[in-house]
Amino acid sequence: MADATSEAVAARGRARWFDRRRSVWRSKTTRHDAGEVVLGQRRVYILPTGAGIGFAALLLCLLIGSINYSLGLGFGLTFIAAACAVVDMVATWRNLAHLRLRPGRAPAVFAGEDAPFELQVLNRTALARYAVWLDFDNKLEPRHAVDVAPGSSASVMLVAPTRTRGWMRAPRVRLLTRFPLGLFRAWSYWLPDSRALVYPFPEQDAPPLPMHGRPSPDGVGSAGSDDFAGVRSYQPGDPLRHLAWRQIARLDPGYGGQLVTKQFEGGAIDELLLDFDALPPRLDLELRLSRMTRWVLEAEQRALPYGFRLGRLHYDPALGSAHQDACLRALALYGIAEDA
Amino acid sequence: MKWSGTPALRLTAPLSRDKQDTLLLVASTVLVLLPHASHLPLWVSLVCGATLAWRAALTLLGRRMPKNLVLMPIAALAMFGVLHTYHTLLGRDAGVAMLVLLVAFKMLEMHARRDLFVVIFLCFFLVLTNFFYSQGIFTAVLMLASLALLLTTQLSFQLTGAIPPLRARLWMGTRMLALSMPLALFAFVLFPRIEGPLWGMPDDAHGAHSGLSDTMSPGQMSNLAQSEEVAFRVKFDGAAPPQPQLYWRGPVLGNYDGHTWTRVHELGRRRPQPLSISVNGVPLRYRVTMEPSNARWLFALEIPQSLPSLPGHLVSVSGELEIQSDTPVAERIRYDMASYTNFSLQAADRLENRAQWLLLPYGSNPRALAAGQALRREPDPARRVGAVLRQFATGGFVYTLQPPLLGDDSVDEFLYDTRAGFCEHYAGAFVFLMRAAGVPARVVTGYQGGELNPVDGYLIVRQSDAHAWAEVWLPGRGWVRVDPTSMAAPDRLRRSAAQVLPPQSPFGIPGLGRLLQPSPDSLLAKLRFAIGAANNGWNQWVLNYTPERQRGLVERLERSLLHWQSVALVAAAVLLLLAGRKFARRRRTDPIDALYSALCQRLGQLGLPRAPDEGPTAYAGRVANANLPPETSSAAGEFLRRYSAHRYGRGQSGSPPALLPTLKDLLSRVR
Repeated sequence: MADATSEAVAARGRARWFDRRRSVWRSKTTRHDAGEVVLGQRRVYILPTGAGIGFAALLLCLLIGSINYSLGLGFGLTFIAAACAVVDMVATWRNLAHLRLRPGRAPAVFAGEDAPFELQVLNRTALARYAVWLDFDNKLEPRHAVDVAPGSSASVMLVAPTRTRGWMRAPRVRLLTRFPLGLFRAWSYWLPDSRALVYPFPEQDAPPLPMHGRPSPDGVGSAGSDDFAGVRSYQPGDPLRHLAWRQIARLDPGYGGQLVTKQFEGGAIDELLLDFDALPPRLDLELRLSRMTRWVLEAEQRALPYGFRLGRLHYDPALGSAHQDACLRALALYGIAEDA
Repeated sequence: MKWSGTPALRLTAPLSRDKQDTLLLVASTVLVLLPHASHLPLWVSLVCGATLAWRAALTLLGRRMPKNLVLMPIAALAMFGVLHTYHTLLGRDAGVAMLVLLVAFKMLEMHARRDLFVVIFLCFFLVLTNFFYSQGIFTAVLMLASLALLLTTQLSFQLTGAIPPLRARLWMGTRMLALSMPLALFAFVLFPRIEGPLWGMPDDAHGAHSGLSDTMSPGQMSNLAQSEEVAFRVKFDGAAPPQPQLYWRGPVLGNYDGHTWTRVHELGRRRPQPLSISVNGVPLRYRVTMEPSNARWLFALEIPQSLPSLPGHLVSVSGELEIQSDTPVAERIRYDMASYTNFSLQAADRLENRAQWLLLPYGSNPRALAAGQALRREPDPARRVGAVLRQFATGGFVYTLQPPLLGDDSVDEFLYDTRAGFCEHYAGAFVFLMRAAGVPARVVTGYQGGELNPVDGYLIVRQSDAHAWAEVWLPGRGWVRVDPTSMAAPDRLRRSAAQVLPPQSPFGIPGLGRLLQPSPDSLLAKLRFAIGAANNGWNQWVLNYTPERQRGLVERLERSLLHWQSVALVAAAVLLLLAGRKFARRRRTDPIDALYSALCQRLGQLGLPRAPDEGPTAYAGRVANANLPPETSSAAGEFLRRYSAHRYGRGQSGSPPALLPTLKDLLSRVR
């Protein structure tokens, strides 16, 4: 009885130990490389290049020549050359190992554009690294090379094409080096913990902005852009598009030669509301998002304050890059979990 | 005016990277090809030089490389030139010439990165082919320089953005070479050696014959005596015997045609002769390292106990105790020998083939013949020998390297007119007189003496130690060695010929030779001995590191390494190294920081990794809110608070001694 109990305990202990080891192992292999990553010994792989295989053939030739002609010094040359290849192998490996990698900025882009990912390669060792090539894994041959002096860092902007809106994770990055002699190729993979926001593609030839007239509550016309109402002197904040260039060009001393702004009366329009639900529901969802995106951009371009409504989200009319980014972000992530 | 300025400007402007690399490649190719110029026909060197200069000019001026249509005829012409010079394209020398030209032309036809590797690999091979012609220490130094430059070139081509200055790159290449040395040495000593050749070698694989020939005529030995080349080196087990005993026996000459002594024809001894030898005492044991002579003779002290065993050679001994191999000695060989210096040879009362050792050419040297026949009145042959030797000792004979030229009756002229000669004159005249006097006699050639190098204990026998002496057969005593030269120049046996002979006068200035010839104790002599020892060590351990030598060394290594003391020593050294490394690593990081990162790692395993931009306080806040066991949470929080206070708190430089154990304790509670 006691035996069985103790055995069961031992088995449970073993199982627990095994579980723990497995979870550690799993976290090691499938972990997204959060934050800064060190290219440890086990992450750097190495194989000879074509030139390396050629060098092996050369070594064989040297050895056969030395044996056949009994060249004592030839043996010396052969072994020195072979040892140089070994030293090169270690040097190539060391050129990549113990580098630290850190994801940098990843600015938002529109679908269809190339998303740039900034990646930083840090060298905290005392060894200067030369000719480290890196690119996303899907490229046949890496196209970007960096050199990292000891204690410094280098940053590279890699671009990946985007197709759909939402979050885009950086694809797997391959680092590769053949330095110093080119006889070996050492490489490593890195899945950077970096994501870029992809806005929907702005629809081409979208219908004009939905200018639904709506009287302002207090009946007082606020500044709009419909009807030209005259000019006034420039005040900071006026859109450049509204500058009255013709008047400025005249440099009329009566106006003091200053900048003047055209003034419009938009009496009929109070605000521009970009309402997702107002779009015809028979349209494809992506097309509707696409149209909203175009409209946001257009309103921003024309400096028309716009309100924004998408599902339960509602932004008051405003203008400016913060407002635009919030709207575009909402469009990009519509129907997508924030953390995806 | 317009033209004069532009090229100078181009040359002084900083070169682009590609151009720098190409010039570096040209420089390393030049360094690799330069030693080949010593053996290549002049036109090949000139063509190569012109081609490389062309390539350098193209690079500097930024011109395009010539089209293949231009290169092809030139290459074909060069190939025809090789064929014309060597009458073949397949031999060793012709092959090397072709390879040299190939590398030079390939420099003009480089388009891809692959071509660069081709050129560099060919250069490696050309470094090897240079060893066909020279394997001295200087060649080895040149090889290392070439390798360093080749490695520098190769790594320069791998660089992309940042280009270190040339000196830094040279340092990188040299450093790689230096790092490869221990491994190369290990492989050199322990890589299993195979005895070559693997296949038949071309006929021109070996150079010309040097050293003793198997004929002797007046003037021949004295030519050889002026060569300081090493014939062989000897290492004795124990002390070397005194100089007068060192007679290295070579070809024995028994036929005389009035001018030249030659060996007895093979026909004359078709039947194996019964050879009776009796020896006394213990044999001298020694090891001979013979330089390639391209002759078949092997040298040993009189008289060898057994035949040396030489892989690849069939060694035999003749009735005159000449040791020879079936094939010419084309490589440096090493053999162990044992010789009895106290012996008697064919000490019977009768000599088989006695007449053969009494033959004289008809009608030559009448005066010597008459003098010899006059000696026959003396009944005891030993006394006849003594009489002739006395004549040499007292007759006013001079030992000289530059004897007067002799006519047809050379023995007569030497004995009665000029009385000046080198060892071949004395030995030849002596044997002639002995035969005329009815005593069987023969000329023995070989080397006498040698120079003991005090640095490494090797006895160096040079071509200048070549010597000729005589053997006479006396009833009951057998063949007895007689050295008539020693009668005229008693010092010859104690010192080398070069030291006994009056010094020559370089540039016709008398006395200059004495100045140039170092006395044995001078610094110059010591330097010469040191260089000699280095050369010999080089030959013994690098150039002639044969499978046998390797086996011997490995056995010795095994014996010494498997001893428990050495095993313990190695283990201790490894442990010390590891401990030192660990210690150094720990010293480098602050112990408190190490604990902090350990904590972060442990919390990360618990599902709470620290964000890279998170400070300890913010982290502590996150840890406190996380769903961790209260014990863990409080310990981690306390740890982080203390760490933060230590790291960022005011006025606390250096760690209080109590902090470290506290943090350790807290860390152990985080689980």
